[in-house]
Parts: sequence; C-alpha cells; structure tokens
Amino acid sequence: MTTKAEFFDRIRAEMARTPGRAPSALAARPVRPREGLDVLRRELSERWRENLDRFQHELERVGGVLHRVAEAGEVPDVVAQIAAERGMHRVVTWPRDTLGVDVAAPLVTRGFDAAVMPGTEVAAAERARLRGLAAAADLGVTGAEVAIAETGTLVVVSGAGRPRSTSLLPACHVAVFERDVLVESLVQMGLVLEAWHEGAEPSWRGAAINFITGPSRTADIELTLTRGVHGPKEVHAVFVERGLSVARRA
Amino acid sequence: MEPELATPFRERAGRALDDRFLQEALTVATTKFITLRREAFAELPEGDALRDQARAIKEATLQRLDYWLERLIERIESRGGHVHYATSADEARRVVLDIARRTGARMAVKSKSMATEEIHLNDALQAAGVTPVETDLGEYIIQLAHERPSHIIAPAIHKTKGQVAELFARELGRETEPDPEVLTRIARAELRQKFLDADLGISGANFAVAETGTVVLVTNEGNGRMVTSLPRVHVAVMGVEKVIPSMTDLAVFLAILAKSATGQKLSVYTSLVNGPRRGGEPEGPEELHLVLLDNGRVRQIAGPLREALNCLRCGACLNVCPVYRQIGGHAYGYTYPGPIGILLTAMLNGPAAVKDLAHASSLCGACMDACPVRIDIPKMLIELRREVDQQGIAPWPERAVFGAFAWLLQRPRLYRLSARLGRLLQRPFVRGGRIRWLPGLFGEWTRTRDLPAVARRTFHERWAALEREARR
Repeated sequence: MTTKAEFFDRIRAEMARTPGRAPSALAARPVRPREGLDVLRRELSERWRENLDRFQHELERVGGVLHRVAEAGEVPDVVAQIAAERGMHRVVTWPRDTLGVDVAAPLVTRGFDAAVMPGTEVAAAERARLRGLAAAADLGVTGAEVAIAETGTLVVVSGAGRPRSTSLLPACHVAVFERDVLVESLVQMGLVLEAWHEGAEPSWRGAAINFITGPSRTADIELTLTRGVHGPKEVHAVFVERGLSVARRA
Repeated sequence: MEPELATPFRERAGRALDDRFLQEALTVATTKFITLRREAFAELPEGDALRDQARAIKEATLQRLDYWLERLIERIESRGGHVHYATSADEARRVVLDIARRTGARMAVKSKSMATEEIHLNDALQAAGVTPVETDLGEYIIQLAHERPSHIIAPAIHKTKGQVAELFARELGRETEPDPEVLTRIARAELRQKFLDADLGISGANFAVAETGTVVLVTNEGNGRMVTSLPRVHVAVMGVEKVIPSMTDLAVFLAILAKSATGQKLSVYTSLVNGPRRGGEPEGPEELHLVLLDNGRVRQIAGPLREALNCLRCGACLNVCPVYRQIGGHAYGYTYPGPIGILLTAMLNGPAAVKDLAHASSLCGACMDACPVRIDIPKMLIELRREVDQQGIAPWPERAVFGAFAWLLQRPRLYRLSARLGRLLQRPFVRGGRIRWLPGLFGEWTRTRDLPAVARRTFHERWAALEREARR
C-alpha cells in the first residue's frame, strides 16, 4: 500500500515540474469571522422582514411551505395541524432545549404519538431504539441554525439533542426558526461557516451540518420531477416571531 | 476492462444514432438541462464573476496542492477520521475492501459517486462478499439492469419509465404501472430498509474543505445524508483535486455548482461531514475514512491535462456538446462521457484509450462556454490528438492522409499545383458546388457529410489578382 510519504513525494515531484502558472486567487477570507458575523447579524436584524419574504418566496419555489406564528406557544398548533391534515400520527421531535419550545407534551395531550429525542449522550442500544422511532415516524420536528433567503435553505446542525434522522427519515419535516437565524445569501453563509469553525468548536456540536433546500427530489426517470425519494416528501418551515428560546445557539 | 469496448467506437456511436428512443431521450434531456442552466444563471448577475473566481480558486489550490492536502489530512485526523492513499484504482479497491473486511461489513449502501464508478468498486465488493447497493435512483436502476451510467448527473437518462417498470417487476417482483411517482415510491421502500441494515456507507465527495477537515456531499434525493449518517462506517472516495481551502471558497462553488448541473439554485441537500459521530451525538458513523485517489491525476499536475483537474463533475459540458447530444454516454465506452469525459479518460487510462474519442468533438467550444470553471476543453482535445498522432497510435489511414497533407502544406508550389489538379479531378463529383459522394477510402468522409468543392479560383489566385490590381 502507498504510504502518505510516497503519495506526497509524487505530488511534490509533479508540482516541481509544473510549467507556467495560470492566474490564481483564493477567496478573501474574513480575518476575524466571529466579529464579522456579529456585525453582519446586527445589519441583518434591520432587514429581517424583507429577508423572510425572500426566504418564503424561494422556499415555495422549491416546494416547501412557510408558516408564520407570533408566539413560540403556537408551534405545537401548527405541527398538530400539519399532522392532522395528512392523517399522520407518529411524531419525533428535538427536545425543548434545542428546539426552543416544547412540542411533544402538547401533541401527546392531543392524542398524537410524540417522542422526544434525548439531549445527552445515550448508550448504543438506546441509540438504536431512537433511530427506530425516527424511522417509524411520519413527522419530524427540528430547529434550524440558519435560514438562507437567497435559496430558501434551512441549515440544520447535528449534535447533542439534535439527531440527524429527525429531519431525514420521516416523510414530513417541520423546522422551527426565528428572525436571528436569517441570512441573505450563500456568501453570507460562507461567513457563518467560517465563524463556526474559528477556534475550538462548542462541545455540543455534532459532525454534520446539512443544508436543506426543499423536499427530497429526483428527476431520474424520464426527467419527471418526483418528491420524497429518500428524504422527506414535505418540508415546512415555521417562523416564530417571539419567544423561541434555543439553548446553545450555534 | 469496460464491457462496451468490445465493439469499436464507430460502431457504438452508430448504434446510438439508430436508437430512436435514445435519440429522443437525449434531445429532451439535454435541451431541458440547457434551458434550466441558462435560466438559473440569468437570475444571477454576478454569475460570470463567480465562475472566474471559482476557476482562480481551483488554480490557486492546485499550485499548493501538497499544502492543502496535508492540512485536510491533519484536520480530519484530529477529528478521529482516517485517511488512506491510493495511487491506482486497484489500490483504492483494496483499501475499501480492507475496511469492509476489518469491520465485518456485509452490505454497503452507496450514494452516487463517479470516483467509485471509475475504480469499478461494486464488482470488487461483490466478489469479496459485500453486497453493494446503489441508492441514487438513477444509479439503482442502472445497477438492477446491470448497465452503466450514461450521464454524469442523470445516469438513467437512456431508460423509459416502461423499461424501469419492467425492470422493477423482474428484479424486485413488483408489478406496477409505468408511473415515475409510483416507481420512485417502490424504490424508496426497497432502499429505506437497506439504509437501515447496511454496515458500510460509501460515498464520493464533491469537495473537501482543508481548513476544517470537512467532506462535502451534494445530493437531491437525500441518499448522501443517509449514507453518511446511518451505517456504522462511512468511507468517502475522493480524487485529490477535490480539496478546496476554506468555507469561504466552498460558498463560491456552491453558488455555481447546482446551477450548472440542474439549474437549481442549490441542490436539495448539501451535507458537510466533519469527522465521525461526536460524543453526545445520538447518530452518525463510528468510523470515517477518506480515500485519497490519484489514479492518473497526479501526473497531470504538470501534464497537458492539468486544467481538467478543475472539473466539478456538473455535466454541463455534456448537455451542450453536439456529439454527446447525438450519441449519449454509453457510446464513449468509459466511466466519464462527454467532452470532459474524453479528457478524464485520457487522464485515467492514457492517451491510447482515446485515439478515436479524441476526434469525437467538433471543437465548437460550447463545452468551454458552459463549464462553470471555464476549462478549455477544445485546446486539450487538440493536444490529445497531437499526442495520439505522435505516439503513432492513431489508425494508419488517418496518419497517412494527414502525413501527406502536412507534407503538401509545406510545399507551396506543389500545394498550388494540387489545387489545380483537384479542380480538374473533382469535376465528375461536384453537384451544386458540393461534393456529396467520393469513391473508395474518401467515401468515408462523404458518407456522413458533404465536402465543399475546390473553388473555381483559389484564395491564392484571387489574392495575387488583387495585388496586381492594387499595383496598377
């Protein structure tokens, strides 16, 4: 087997032989991304209404649905309504800490079968059971760390209390977010990602960051657009104007 | 060995031209992709600037490739990931098989990956007792049919829904109507269980961000997320040229990749994978392996195909290529079809592999216009033709004819004489200023196209006359 040293020797030998160089430049990276992001967030806080409208427009273009509520307490109502309209019964949800609102208890009260994902490390057997719950669920409720207006994208970060499967295995995904998380463009998202990786990462953060732009889709059979291949068939974003309190914001 | 290569290129292309469904499917698909791409970029005024920037980033990365790869490796290992080095396709297969063996894997779910197609990983897995399951719908169809992808991003572009329904009936025992919606639902159910049961998840990588040690996967169906989240072990196979420095650079590429491929602003899922499952996380693989693949790439760092290392595998050049649009992906005979595919085939298999394919281009330049990073494909195709000629691997009649032509061009008097001679000899064949038929070997040319007749007065003669007039 090729060793790392051998592999790099070959690369360096070829690099040394490289004739004339073409124009080149890396993208200019922010020097202090966290500070840059703070500045950006302040600017964006003045434009959140426009950005939310744009987000809605783009989300709808890719087949998603936006719901707006005034208070965090209304989120369970929205979820219940989405589930009821579709005859869905089994719900999995992130815990209150990471979602910013308790969804499970109100849903159970209304007769839904709602399970809360754990907020801390669990044993392997329990992890398997939880995955089974997500796989059997009709609807999954998560938070969103960023919403990108330009593309209608929800950015979901995995971690403790933020299982990946909640937004992946159920046929219907509901993501809850607030105005703070709106950014305008992919370029701004680049700054967010730089800031997230500046210095040590917080211990709660997991290994996966997923950009979700509408429901799962394919056009692999005769270019016919079909939704819900492997991921959710439906994506609902619930915008909460007040009262969402997410601990450990990314 | 690629199975298609048993028949010569000309025959493969001829068969594709005679396939009426394929012709229809190709026209519809490529036209649709072209339109979607155009509309997407029309909405992005800064699109051209972003493409220039993306190109400059690729070049800058290549100029310090060793540094960025070292950085990537260091970051991945600091997260508990493992990095492997594969010089050849064979070595890459052995690396993956070793991982499969060590982890006791029985079934591998795969998200769409051209790199694993390129190294023919599935056959190797199968032979080693690990069942590979392609999970991209198009790839799944192709795998069930024991065929190979015919387009980089739409692998089953050549199949009708009727054929897919028959295939599902035969292979899955599911009789169904030929409705894409229903067929997709069946595939979802079949593959869902496989995602949950598989021990090994195998993916490619669209990018790897060096500064953060992040493997980036772009999919529309969600299989990329499944493959990197559910199985115990995740293996990503990636060409060395896919590394990019930073998240800021990533944002630039994401802004143009999906638009070039499918005309989407962004693909549905962009997954950033930063190591195996972390403490506290309820899900994710216990092990993450990145296989860095050379397989002919490294020697092009200083080679004539260097620019092809910038390719993002978006497929835009296929859709606009007048040759691809006529013959489709299979006729090319190798993993990568289309204009960029010819270059990549030469990169992977050497110039001898493309002695016919190097000519399967009109050099019109549409590919370069469509390319998100503006790769000068025509220039490299010409370079390849030269190489094929110099190595004496071009077919002998071609070498003889061009040899004679070159000899003649270097002798002005003889050239002028031959023009006059040609004017005389062509007489019986000229109809309306064009030659539509020629006898013998020359008939190969006129079989599929007309030849303009030698003009009544050649350019040389007219120029000389003009000069005489000017002097008067």
